[in-house]
Amino acid sequence: MNNATTLLSRRQLDLVRIVWMLVTLVLALMTIFPLLWMLTISFKSQAEVFQPTFWPKAPSLKNFVYVLTEVPFLRYLFNSFVVSAAVTIIALWFHSMAGYALARLRFPGREAIFLAIFSTFLVSLPVIIVPLFIVVRSMGMLNSYAGLIVPAIFNAFGIFLLRQYYLALPRELEEAAIVDGASYWRIYWSVILPLSRPIIASLAILFFLANWNSFLWPLTATSDQSLWVVQVGIASFRSQYASSWNYIMAASTIVAAPMLLVFIVFQKQIMESIKTSGLK
Amino acid sequence: MQLLRTFARAAGTAAILLSTTALVQAADVSFLTHWGPDTVAKLEAAAAAYSKDHPDTKITVRAVPFGDLLTTLRSSGGGSDGATIAGIYDAWLPDLAKDKLVAPVPDAIAADTKANWPAGVVGAASIGGTLYGIPNEIDVYALNYNKKLFAAAGIADAPKTWDELLADAQKLTDKSKGQQGFGMINSWAAGVLHPFASLLVSNGGDLVVDGKPTLDSKQATETFELYEKLIKSGYSDPQMATADANTTGPFLDNFVSGKTGMIIMANWWESALKAGMGDNFADVATAPIPVGPSGDKARSISYSWMTVVNAKASADEQKAAWDFLSWLNGPTSGPNGASAMGDILMSMGILPSRTSDGAAFKDKLDSDAFLKGYTETLANAKGFPVVLGGQEFSESLQKTLEAMQFGQLSAADAQKTAQSDATEILTRAAQ
Amino acid sequence: MLAPATGLLAVFIFVPMLLTLWLSLQSWSTQTGFDTARFIGVQNFIDIFSNSSIGRDFKAALVNTLIYTVLSVVLILPLSVAFGLLVHQKLAPGGIVLRTILFSTYMVPMIAVALVFSKLYSPTEGPINQVLGWIGIPAQTWLSAPQTALGSIVLLNVWQQVGYFTVLAVAGLTQIPDSLYEAARIDGANPVQRFWSITLPLLGNTLLFSAVIAIINSVQVFEPVALITQGGPVNATNVLTYHIRRVGIERAQGGLGSAMAVTLMLVLIVSITALFAFARAREARRA
Repeated sequence: MNNATTLLSRRQLDLVRIVWMLVTLVLALMTIFPLLWMLTISFKSQAEVFQPTFWPKAPSLKNFVYVLTEVPFLRYLFNSFVVSAAVTIIALWFHSMAGYALARLRFPGREAIFLAIFSTFLVSLPVIIVPLFIVVRSMGMLNSYAGLIVPAIFNAFGIFLLRQYYLALPRELEEAAIVDGASYWRIYWSVILPLSRPIIASLAILFFLANWNSFLWPLTATSDQSLWVVQVGIASFRSQYASSWNYIMAASTIVAAPMLLVFIVFQKQIMESIKTSGLK
Repeated sequence: MQLLRTFARAAGTAAILLSTTALVQAADVSFLTHWGPDTVAKLEAAAAAYSKDHPDTKITVRAVPFGDLLTTLRSSGGGSDGATIAGIYDAWLPDLAKDKLVAPVPDAIAADTKANWPAGVVGAASIGGTLYGIPNEIDVYALNYNKKLFAAAGIADAPKTWDELLADAQKLTDKSKGQQGFGMINSWAAGVLHPFASLLVSNGGDLVVDGKPTLDSKQATETFELYEKLIKSGYSDPQMATADANTTGPFLDNFVSGKTGMIIMANWWESALKAGMGDNFADVATAPIPVGPSGDKARSISYSWMTVVNAKASADEQKAAWDFLSWLNGPTSGPNGASAMGDILMSMGILPSRTSDGAAFKDKLDSDAFLKGYTETLANAKGFPVVLGGQEFSESLQKTLEAMQFGQLSAADAQKTAQSDATEILTRAAQ
Repeated sequence: MLAPATGLLAVFIFVPMLLTLWLSLQSWSTQTGFDTARFIGVQNFIDIFSNSSIGRDFKAALVNTLIYTVLSVVLILPLSVAFGLLVHQKLAPGGIVLRTILFSTYMVPMIAVALVFSKLYSPTEGPINQVLGWIGIPAQTWLSAPQTALGSIVLLNVWQQVGYFTVLAVAGLTQIPDSLYEAARIDGANPVQRFWSITLPLLGNTLLFSAVIAIINSVQVFEPVALITQGGPVNATNVLTYHIRRVGIERAQGGLGSAMAVTLMLVLIVSITALFAFARAREARRA
């Protein structure tokens, strides 16, 4: 991409290289500093948090132990995982069906429905949170996994992307199947779904991450401590008169670490799928 | 087929077990509070002790941060699945009662409460003569100051009048050291309002009288002008006054690290000060609020908390809840004739309001030098107004005072805006 | 085939939306039953645009949200392209590491980010001002003054999100064929000219996509305000989401909250439609 090699002399090239590396280094440091800070606080004691020193005097794992034993934090992690995974899987399934229907099937009102779906893109949670709460409560879904999962499934963005993807797929495979007499359902299951791998992979990551970080809705919809997700659990370490910084940071490290690990390990695949899903 | 039959049998047994357990448990009581994990542990211990003698009542505690308490109460209340018991701040009571979210205290317990608590706190827990909750915590404000800084500036005693306050603030301000004489607070409603209101009542003024705001009085003018003078002369730096959503932040850090000479704060921040200052906590002393030119004696604003019961809970749950609360706040549940609630509050350095608790903990309270400045003020405290639309009134006045802190409004404009907004808000809320 | 998705849409989006619309025309206290709602026509809308304290607060919240959104988008999009170029180039090593580090900020729970930054931003004791002091820049007021508080939250948002948008930009960059650059180089174009005439235009769709996401995200900002500033100081960081929650739930003024929500929805519809119209016009011009 950068064909500077033929335009600059050897020395100039080295200079550019060094400048690039310096810029990258500074950028990386600036980005990572708050994270490092967060990490060092998780190893400090309660009293030490008040002091502006960087490294903990006597680093200990006490905070992590407290977070994992004194509060049902493992339960919160489990809840977050169950909810995020359930929403992701169900959403991908429903929305790929909807995307395919909107891209290929012909029925009256198709454009109108698509517009309606797309317009909800602009409806954000704070706008509807009070009525949504009332709807969920009248359905008896408050304080249950259903209440956490079901309202979070619908995602206009996902339907939009999937429709785009299916519109761009060549029709030959489907036409062959239609000629063979397959129903739309068969086509969906055996032809479309396997072809959707890249887009589903990238959407899976996006959906999972969005739900893992979700805070406002779980906070509103669950009062039972056994149903809390990690974000709400971390928030509970704040009390009126103080804030247990060390526990909050330790808990946050526990929450961020697995996602980070997944990203580092699967980096290449993730980048590939975002590329080939043709986000255009 | 075999699988199906096993499944059916299991489901049947489960159904029977569930229904029998439902019969045994007469009441499931949930307690919503803003307390931290250590205090919640104490409450749960008390609940466990109660359940031992009352096996048909099961009590679970749910804690949320203070900033989310009212929102949680309102979003999950208004239904039978909301918390049965909630600890609420007295200013929230009128709106909650108007929306019929809280139940009146049963007569027998109400009579007992009126007999064992001071009239002021009982008043704050009542609307139109009907008692809605059992008071527990009472909080007052006092002048906190740093003895070391005072000695370095050559000040012998804490200021008793506003003139002395200004003079001392001047001596304590040293821009080169980043030191301010008098600390204010912003970004947190109570932190902005209560110190201001305490100075106002120490000047013989009031925030609200008979449901109408009195921010246009002469006493209020003097209070607004005091703030303006502190800011304009640089004795108070608004940028050192920030509070975050946990009621900690720069305003606390600056006092802890000795950069603020004096600040008006409530008794409950003792634990935060101790945690942050360690041994230097011995440098902190407290004194009653300085008296203004139109005032006669040192007064403070007070506010209280109480426990209320969800009006939408079932009759069984409500009865079980009141019985538990009556025990929790009664003299038999805690050590030495104190109540379990009193014991829990004292563990946080908070003053219990029940008269017998005051007596039971007298030694402890007398020996705490920090709390002395507060307990002296208790007798002359005036409750923060408990009115319909109180929350909105507080937030609007907070915004005006903050604008004044940052020099966006003069004292005269701030006073005019405060009074007109307050009048509009309270009239609208009363409709 | 469409049924499950549209079913969910109807129940969890359309019904609440219609309820919000209906409630915006009522005077209603949030926790009470709907039977207590009193029809008052467009009075709520008049109130939120009036000069009373309700109106002043709402207009300020609207302005704050707009400023926040514009600043965020204006900072994030160019930075994501710049960082994307940095990550994508083959001259110097470290691109992959940088990409991982940038993206990692998106994984950290918002509450931790909010709390860490509130400490970092502390004027007297925070590391940021200390570091600025080393390079001779005077201490800034960050979250402690009304003029700088909103900007500080914007920087927090940029820090957290730029990695995500950089990844999107990189995806867009990799789709530009090298042959185009080769051809331009042969024609004598220097790197800067190649950027402006090839890279930027071909990134157009990616940028549009990123812009839409960035706008939607910014308008929904909630956690930093709720967890640190609570709308202050002097309501400088009072954004619409926080304000609607405060009015609609805390103060239980259901009608007013709904009217504010409806207004927010309309503003969003107008801006995104404008954005798409602009993009379509650009497409038409190119064709």
